[in-house]
Amino acid sequence: MRKVGIVGMGTTKFKARWVDKTYYELAFDAAKMAMEDAGIDRTRIDCAVYGIYNDFFQRQYQPDAFVHDYLGLGLKPMVRVNSGGATGGAAMRIGYSEVASGLYDVCLVLGVEKCNDCFNYESGVTTPEVLRAILYTADMTYDNPAGRTAASGFALAVIAHLEKYGNPTEEQMAKVSVKNHLNATKNPIAQSPKVITVEDVLNSRKIVEPFKFYDNCLYSEGSSAVILASEEVARELTDNPVWITGVGASVDYVMPGNRPNLYTFESSRVAAQSAYKMAGVKDPVRELDLAELHDAFSGTEIMAYEDCFFCEEGQGGRLIDEGTVLPDGRIPVNVSGGLIGCGHAVGATGIMQTYEVALHMRGEAGERQVKNARRGLVQSIGGTLCTWTICLVLEGDKS
Amino acid sequence: MNEQEREKWYQYHEAKYGIPVEYLKREYEAELSGQVPMDQPLEIPDKMEVFFKYSLGRQSRFFREIRENKTIYGARCTQCGKVYCPPRDHCSLCYVPTEWLPLEGTGTIKACTVQYFTTSAFIKKVPFICAYIQLDGSDFVMMTNMEVDDVSQIKVGTRVKAYFREERHGAITDFYFRPLE
Repeated sequence: MRKVGIVGMGTTKFKARWVDKTYYELAFDAAKMAMEDAGIDRTRIDCAVYGIYNDFFQRQYQPDAFVHDYLGLGLKPMVRVNSGGATGGAAMRIGYSEVASGLYDVCLVLGVEKCNDCFNYESGVTTPEVLRAILYTADMTYDNPAGRTAASGFALAVIAHLEKYGNPTEEQMAKVSVKNHLNATKNPIAQSPKVITVEDVLNSRKIVEPFKFYDNCLYSEGSSAVILASEEVARELTDNPVWITGVGASVDYVMPGNRPNLYTFESSRVAAQSAYKMAGVKDPVRELDLAELHDAFSGTEIMAYEDCFFCEEGQGGRLIDEGTVLPDGRIPVNVSGGLIGCGHAVGATGIMQTYEVALHMRGEAGERQVKNARRGLVQSIGGTLCTWTICLVLEGDKS
Repeated sequence: MNEQEREKWYQYHEAKYGIPVEYLKREYEAELSGQVPMDQPLEIPDKMEVFFKYSLGRQSRFFREIRENKTIYGARCTQCGKVYCPPRDHCSLCYVPTEWLPLEGTGTIKACTVQYFTTSAFIKKVPFICAYIQLDGSDFVMMTNMEVDDVSQIKVGTRVKAYFREERHGAITDFYFRPLE
């Protein structure tokens, strides 16, 4: 396998609504930024991987074909990836394979999502209809008719974890929400920068037990792109490449009846282990300088501390209490604001997280820059009770 | 558009999408009466819909038994003995056929939560319970509907029983769970 580097990247702002752009127009903005960052034009791209989650959101089946056309990449190969919330991370993994395998030298990995064109006319807001579109990805015969949502699936896991280990408590979850909203105040692309208190979180309206409004990420519209290249091309294009040194993926049984328990996300543990093994990481807290973890809900960020081996199983709540995951802690988590603070533009999210970690590797993260950041982790999860997990280890060139 | 044209537009879209005129007026009156400049984004109503005559394949009997006999069936692997509910025609681990097995309809809550906000299709039901229940005799959990007067009476370990609706359609929603008396 060949070494693969990130040579260019770009992202739009994550916003509630990009009413003035269609999904392929948004994708164009991110692709253009990434090409400019890499110092190349479209003719240099050999192939593309698109992360686009929900066809209902885009009001279009096979939206990838229309993105590909709009980016002027006709006659080049491409593939579209859809792995629920993990779509962006899954697209990164396929893009990595395209280059590492030797099939192609330069690959555009681009995620885009526009969810808030869905609209509930009765209430005059988008979210209930966005959730209805998502519910088509639950098992249509048995799960969909029960009226569950993505939030209730993850809430059930958090409750099972709480029953088993006594955490995460509502206060610990609230602290994660406060951290991620605050981190977002230093991120210019973030949708939800806010200075709030633990009490604000605890007093916000209930969504699904035990999550309150501020425990949830917001659905965003946005597009993020990175350009991957083989080592030879990467050296030619940039003097500051960011290498992908670890890739781990796992897909768990989607029907929880096939799982041994409901209180761990086994796919996350397997994916993290594989990525660490490939990158030679033995002690993650000591060897990683930052991590972008998939905090669709505050409680699942705490479970991710355990799943990424930042602590023993059942000890996740302690890491937020002790400040280990704060920007100045031993392993800062979601300096970008994460999904809660920066936003969740589903297909773009895993690529936005990659963008964030790579930005720190390049020393270009501005006022939120983690000092001397050399190595970072990206975790992208999705599906009922965390079906998919993809983990990436990124390393700067000087590490 | 003049008033008459606007009225036609509302009638047409109400008939086409089933969106009441009052909601359409709230969202589109400014646009249709020419208040939005030509270069501003234009939003349009739409709906995606596909009709089915969907085959339930080898799970068909499960739904007929619910509709006709008010009985929940599991499927037992003829090799390892694992009982699936929802049923499967083959064991996913042994790759051998399963056999039908009637279940009692009683079970235990393995995880549950209270839903206070949800999709357009269910928003009028909140708050409601969303739970994983393991039926007695089954090695699987299933996501289920619960109908209870007081959401606080439901917790992990609560024993429950399936109740069947008078009007049944051959769907998973033909039954729901209540705590076992």
